[in-house]
Amino acid sequence: MSDLSGHEGELEKALARLAARAPYTELLAQRVHGEEATLDSHETTVTPQPRLQGAIFRIWDGRRWVEAASSAFDAPSLSEVVESLAGDAARSPAHGPRPGQAATTRREWLTHPRKSMESMGPEELVSLARTARGWARSVDGVHEARVRVSWSDEERLYLNSGGARCYQRTPRTHFVVVPMATEGGRVEFDFLSHGGRGGAELLDDLTEESVVATARSSKELLAAKAPPSGVMPVILDPGVSGTFAHESFGHGTEADQFLRDRSYLKPLLGQMVGPDFLSIVDDGSIPDAWGSIYCDDEGHPGQRTTLVERGRFVGALHDAETAAAYHTAPTGNTRRSDFLSRAFVRMTNTYVEPGDRTLDELVAEARDGVLLERATSGIEDPLGGQMQLKVKKGHRIENGRLTDLVSTMALSGRVLDFMNSVRGVAKASDLRMEPGYCGKGHSDYIPVGSGGAYLLSRAVVGPA
Amino acid sequence: MTEDAPGAEIAHGVAERLRASGPWEVYAERSRRFELHFTGKEVELVHGPVTLHGYGIRVFRNQGGQTATGFQSSTDLSDEGIRAALGDAERVSRYSEFPAQKVELPANGPPARGGPKVVDPALWARPRDTVESYFSALTASFDHHRNVAPSFGSIRVTLTDTSVANSAGLRASYPQTTAELEVGVKASGGPEGAPPGEYWVTETSRRLDLPGLADSVDRWCRYAQDVRRAVAPPSGDFAVVLPASVLAGILPQTLGFKLSGVARLRKMAPTLGQRIGSETVTIRDDGRYDWSPFAGPCDDEGTPQRARTLVASGVVEEMLYDTLYGAAFDTRSTASAFRAVVGGSSNWKRFTSPPGPGASTLVVGPGDGGTEAEVIEAAGDGIWVQQLGWANPSALTSSFGGEIRIGYRIRNGKLAEPIRGGVVGGSVVAPPGSPSMLSSVETVGGSVELAEGVASPAMLVRPLTVAGGAA
Repeated sequence: MSDLSGHEGELEKALARLAARAPYTELLAQRVHGEEATLDSHETTVTPQPRLQGAIFRIWDGRRWVEAASSAFDAPSLSEVVESLAGDAARSPAHGPRPGQAATTRREWLTHPRKSMESMGPEELVSLARTARGWARSVDGVHEARVRVSWSDEERLYLNSGGARCYQRTPRTHFVVVPMATEGGRVEFDFLSHGGRGGAELLDDLTEESVVATARSSKELLAAKAPPSGVMPVILDPGVSGTFAHESFGHGTEADQFLRDRSYLKPLLGQMVGPDFLSIVDDGSIPDAWGSIYCDDEGHPGQRTTLVERGRFVGALHDAETAAAYHTAPTGNTRRSDFLSRAFVRMTNTYVEPGDRTLDELVAEARDGVLLERATSGIEDPLGGQMQLKVKKGHRIENGRLTDLVSTMALSGRVLDFMNSVRGVAKASDLRMEPGYCGKGHSDYIPVGSGGAYLLSRAVVGPA
Repeated sequence: MTEDAPGAEIAHGVAERLRASGPWEVYAERSRRFELHFTGKEVELVHGPVTLHGYGIRVFRNQGGQTATGFQSSTDLSDEGIRAALGDAERVSRYSEFPAQKVELPANGPPARGGPKVVDPALWARPRDTVESYFSALTASFDHHRNVAPSFGSIRVTLTDTSVANSAGLRASYPQTTAELEVGVKASGGPEGAPPGEYWVTETSRRLDLPGLADSVDRWCRYAQDVRRAVAPPSGDFAVVLPASVLAGILPQTLGFKLSGVARLRKMAPTLGQRIGSETVTIRDDGRYDWSPFAGPCDDEGTPQRARTLVASGVVEEMLYDTLYGAAFDTRSTASAFRAVVGGSSNWKRFTSPPGPGASTLVVGPGDGGTEAEVIEAAGDGIWVQQLGWANPSALTSSFGGEIRIGYRIRNGKLAEPIRGGVVGGSVVAPPGSPSMLSSVETVGGSVELAEGVASPAMLVRPLTVAGGAA
């Protein structure tokens, strides 16, 4: 498949034809290529990214948004989309202006990885994965390890009838290692995951030391005790802190939920919602982070947006429409999962800013509770203000010291209660960002980063 | 198989132009998708029609006594596009290894008639009109509910012609419809001054159930109202009742793995004849269950669908294999090949994934527990979980758990006050001698309800651990 530049002429013509028949028109074209190697001791596969490319056109028909997509760039396929949308525009009984201002950005962004993944080829991918599997299985009691190394190279081209043209090329690289320990029919695992925007240099973190440490942890989990149950002091590790930031003031500040009157946070804008040492940020402009974007899918550059500043709820994530409704500027958070999916207000990299404490101090202050480690998932409750975080493991805290290893747990609680119970955040030396995927509801998954430093609060935890 | 879907058989056309040697398979979809997104009772976005025609080519090669596979998918139906996709599949197959001597692809597809019901005729014929009518009916169903209204939502429908062809001569095709509904049902206002409450509906089915809509909305509104007055659950070990809607988020991901060739190959599966549940537990996997979003006349390799008894009276009886994993154990496919798109909508872009063995629709056999009221009475003192935040079960360990979004305390054999918050969890399957959810099933009700990939009566588990109390 040729890159998107080879199709830009046809796309521009289609946009111009549609712009003559609808009050406002925009398009997003996307193309991705890449490869992934997955193996364990029984099976090895190399899978290329699907040969899938296409464009979605969106019009404002005078009363609402209408969009249609094509997975081909030839003139007849694009014409079919244009005619379908022009028909909608012609049938519309209203002629109001689009909500919000159209972007006028004209810019190109290219990422130049220090080491290209494409030049590695599948043989080297498989070789690297085999080496990592070998490291994991060198640990006594670990008989199996699943390793996946993947990369993608994505192009996105955004054009609108207001003159914007944004082209970005984003390589992403990711690996995950899951060493599995078994005993008496029971299976346990820990995992090592790392990824970001960039190339093979991101694989430098796939080291023997890190894999062996993860494999040892898998084995230790076989002897882990059941987690405690009930309300108690909790310390979140940096990854779990990030999931907390994401599920609480990430989803809660997506301003489309404000327009829907579906956010418990909406009436709290400008108010104190936590202690004065707690800040939460969404930042799409971090150079190498997994969730970074140069430009969102409405043509607004990715940027840093402070959501909670020293305990005060100060900002939200906006697309053009919500920004207009709340008399502010778009924040570069409009994202489509792909050219077949609709645009929503979404996060990029969301994190808790580091504080001034050490982990030892937080453990001593918690006295009796639990440290939650290795985030596996989270889910928000935008209207009810609850959140759920799940982790793979943790440690009991007894008499101000870390003690027994405990297995899978879930944390539940009201976000505002949790925020107001935060008693400390660890220093920047503990700051870590982790790669993940986020759905809006249960679909439309996009790459996002989340992170933070160790954080002490109070919540309900239980086995999960 | 279908006369009313002209030009449906993309896979057959690709197969005719495929210049491949050795075993191969083409799986294809011709899909139309239409979505309607709304805020309150107003349409916010009309998305579609989006058409997507694509195929996946899988090749099988014998390499050093093992089977190597290569897979690539594409939307390019030109000869050049097909050559390029085949070239990719051949290229990556060189790096593949799988411990099977010989893979036997199905030669015959399902019979032309008599398949399960997987097409909503109105949706197939008039998708946009049907969705718009359903939306009107949905919003109207809220009119008589004081203080409850939809806050947002979407209706997403996908109409797909699926076709499969292979080098053994198989040529199969069939149509299917899928409807995904998401609605935020918000209760607010009223004299009590309580904060607003929401019941978040997410359902996937084969059809838009217009006749049952009003009853569903009544139920959703009741849950949304109950959220407002719910209290934190208690902590401890309790009798917990799980309806089909909750089991749908737990059983397919855990049993679908534990009882599959994937787990058996890795020595993570129970053995045939091993007891994993109480005597009250019988679970079939039925690929032909009417209106299930995972049903069809054949699996995703074209093998005619059937039902499999996985667990009979608590004992493992059968396991799930596709052709590849079947070959690893010198057995035939059980028609359990499924293509999953992780983190996406069901039945959309599935041609971009190679198949693997998994569960279709897990049907829990009705027990002698009677009606839901009788199951509740049997619980005595316990908890009814209506909705979890996200059970997010682990396939490897079969642990599950999540926050209770809405549930009810059971006191003296009757449903009592609504509860919300806290965590309930456990392990679906455990090694012999260890407690598990299935081994702790005390009672199974008598009436089956279909919820996505599970058809089950309410199941009483005693005990499950609940972590509650106010945070």
